Amino acid sequence: MIYKLEVPELAEDVQEVRVLEWHGNVGTMFEVGDMIVELETHKAIVEIRAGQPGFFRKIEVPAGEWCKTGVPLGLCSDAADEALPAEAGGAVNMLVRFEIA
Amino acid sequence: MSFERSATQRLFYREAIARALREKMAADPSVFVMGQDVGAFGGAYLEFDGLFAAFGPARVRDTPVAEAAMIGIALGAGAAGLRPVVSITYMDFIMLGLDPLVNYGAKLRYKTAGRLTAPLLLKTTAGAKGQGVAHSQCIEAWLMGVPGLKLVAPATPDDAYGLMIAALEEPGPVVFIDHKKLFPGAGEVAVAPHRTPLGKARIIRPGTDVTITTHSYMTRVALDAAALLQIQGLSCEVIDLRTLLPLDLDLIAASVARTGALVTLEEGQLTCGVGAEVAAQVQRVLGPLKVHRIGALAAPVSSNPVLERACIPDAARVAAEVEFATRRSGR
Amino acid sequence: MTRIAILRRMKLIRAFEAALAARRDHGFQLLSTGEEAVAVGLCAALGTDDQLLTGGRSIGFALARGLDPGCVMAELLGKVAGPNRGRAGRGHLSWPEAGFFGAHAVVGGNISVAAGVALARLMTGAPGIAAVVFGDGACGAGSLHETLNIAALWRLPLLFVCNNNQISVSTPRGAALAAASIADLARAHGIPAQTVDGMDAEAVAAAASHAAEAVRQGEGPAFIECVSHRFAPHSTAARETRTAAQLQDIRSRCPIDALARALLASAEVGKSALERMDDDVADQVRRAMGFAEASPYPDAAEALADVV
Repeated sequence: MIYKLEVPELAEDVQEVRVLEWHGNVGTMFEVGDMIVELETHKAIVEIRAGQPGFFRKIEVPAGEWCKTGVPLGLCSDAADEALPAEAGGAVNMLVRFEIA
Repeated sequence: MSFERSATQRLFYREAIARALREKMAADPSVFVMGQDVGAFGGAYLEFDGLFAAFGPARVRDTPVAEAAMIGIALGAGAAGLRPVVSITYMDFIMLGLDPLVNYGAKLRYKTAGRLTAPLLLKTTAGAKGQGVAHSQCIEAWLMGVPGLKLVAPATPDDAYGLMIAALEEPGPVVFIDHKKLFPGAGEVAVAPHRTPLGKARIIRPGTDVTITTHSYMTRVALDAAALLQIQGLSCEVIDLRTLLPLDLDLIAASVARTGALVTLEEGQLTCGVGAEVAAQVQRVLGPLKVHRIGALAAPVSSNPVLERACIPDAARVAAEVEFATRRSGR
Repeated sequence: MTRIAILRRMKLIRAFEAALAARRDHGFQLLSTGEEAVAVGLCAALGTDDQLLTGGRSIGFALARGLDPGCVMAELLGKVAGPNRGRAGRGHLSWPEAGFFGAHAVVGGNISVAAGVALARLMTGAPGIAAVVFGDGACGAGSLHETLNIAALWRLPLLFVCNNNQISVSTPRGAALAAASIADLARAHGIPAQTVDGMDAEAVAAAASHAAEAVRQGEGPAFIECVSHRFAPHSTAARETRTAAQLQDIRSRCPIDALARALLASAEVGKSALERMDDDVADQVRRAMGFAEASPYPDAAEALADVV
């Protein structure tokens, strides 16, 4: 299954975030608890960690760019070779945990 | 003809403030910051982030909770040749320092016949955001009637940067008013050093049927309301005042002369408010006008979400009131 | 400053204020009668790099600091030859180039400002200290306590001078302040403090010099409390609250008479020298008054000058 990585509901007033750094490349496998990406909100730096195992498949928003809440940051999948959809919109949300750095 | 596209960077509102201060403090050793939690903590909104690390505790000074003394000390330091930035975390607590600000700072140049001036940048955060009756106020209108002061209220990161730069070049006291709800936002800021001139408003949405003047966070609400009204066929021209004292009467009056109707919008109180002053000044130039003022309810703003929402204008209420006001005026 | 010079300066203040008060158009004035020793003693301890800030009872301190009496009189009478073109008057007189950063008529209002002036010296390394004078009436105000705290925390080069004339308009000091000693208010913040007889100019000069020296050495702020008496009511518009007997007792402690007696007793001056001194002072005051009278009032258009 394909999952979309969205900016989680970090705080009620977070409107958009800056993507600071992606951890791992396209094709990398991650376990639960692995850091996937660091984001910067207006208040803090947030570490997004995997809440499920899988493969990292696509970066929608590169480091240094901005992303509004509710917009996909990237795509992941259970298996390394699943075909990616044309549009990320329909995909299910990936489970993540986040930590204020 | 070719146009150069100047490079911009997207910054959080707080980053624009920090960038302006960093540039000014690097260029001018007389600029320093004082306030509660401005040092290692970096400010309540991280608006001073990085300054303590770059410039140290002598130039980024944490103070105890003592607004009257903080403002008086900053004024004295300014009068003695430095350029202090004093941070009053909540605009509500400017009240504690109104005596030094108004009776010394605003009057110093006049009363000494120019022998002394007090270049002070008083930066403070206004606005309702769930923090209760004494931590929610927008009282900029109280200061508009103080000769000797200047007031700015940037609504965007670019103006937060630009007005901070310009304000730090002023010879007298400037009150720089930001807003709790502006900090989550981001916007493009030119990479090259620049300034936003004081005393200049900006048309942020051109329109033909009605002029809406507003400032600070309410500019967002005004734009949202204008979008709603566009669907109904009403074209709103939205003006971001940017400087509240002195008002850019020329720009406002020219707009109202074109649209024929004025709506003022603020988060503060209507009585003797920003809008009351804008309306009076515009009518002095253009004669009697169709004017409608929108503001907070005449009540304290509780932290209770239901009650706070009831008090503060939102896009739906603004759109309804603008529509009613222009309909009543026969548009 | 020599003892003779101290005496002459006190006499100048007394004669100057008498000439001012004798005018029908004297305006709203707070006079220093009886408190001349505090002004002259303090200023004997200040140098050209220092800045002095006062409250509304400023005339004695302005003259003690060496400001030209003609210019001061012009300012008091609202004439353009005053250092602030007649706009400030007694309550806001300011001549920073002469080391008189300014008076500020708000009770306690100049205390935090003075700390800011001191902070500027600390941050730039410029020489000199700031000294701020306030009365017992300011000691209940928040601005004093807030500033004592920050001055101590930041080790500001600031000399706090309380001119405790023991009454604030109609309120005796004991009815306004719970603390047994005003100097204790400073000690509570860790600031060294001393209480001195404010009717003895030399004692004030010695205490002020001692305290100022510590401040100059970078030891942080210091506080002196000068206990004095004012001979006249709080202001030219205020009613006197003390009894005739109390006033008679107060006036018997005149600092000018006391120093003159001391100088005569030690034969540093003779009676005729003192008479010449009085004539000299009277002459100086006459010239000052003449200078002020000759100066014009400002044009009404100046109401809008230098506002912002």
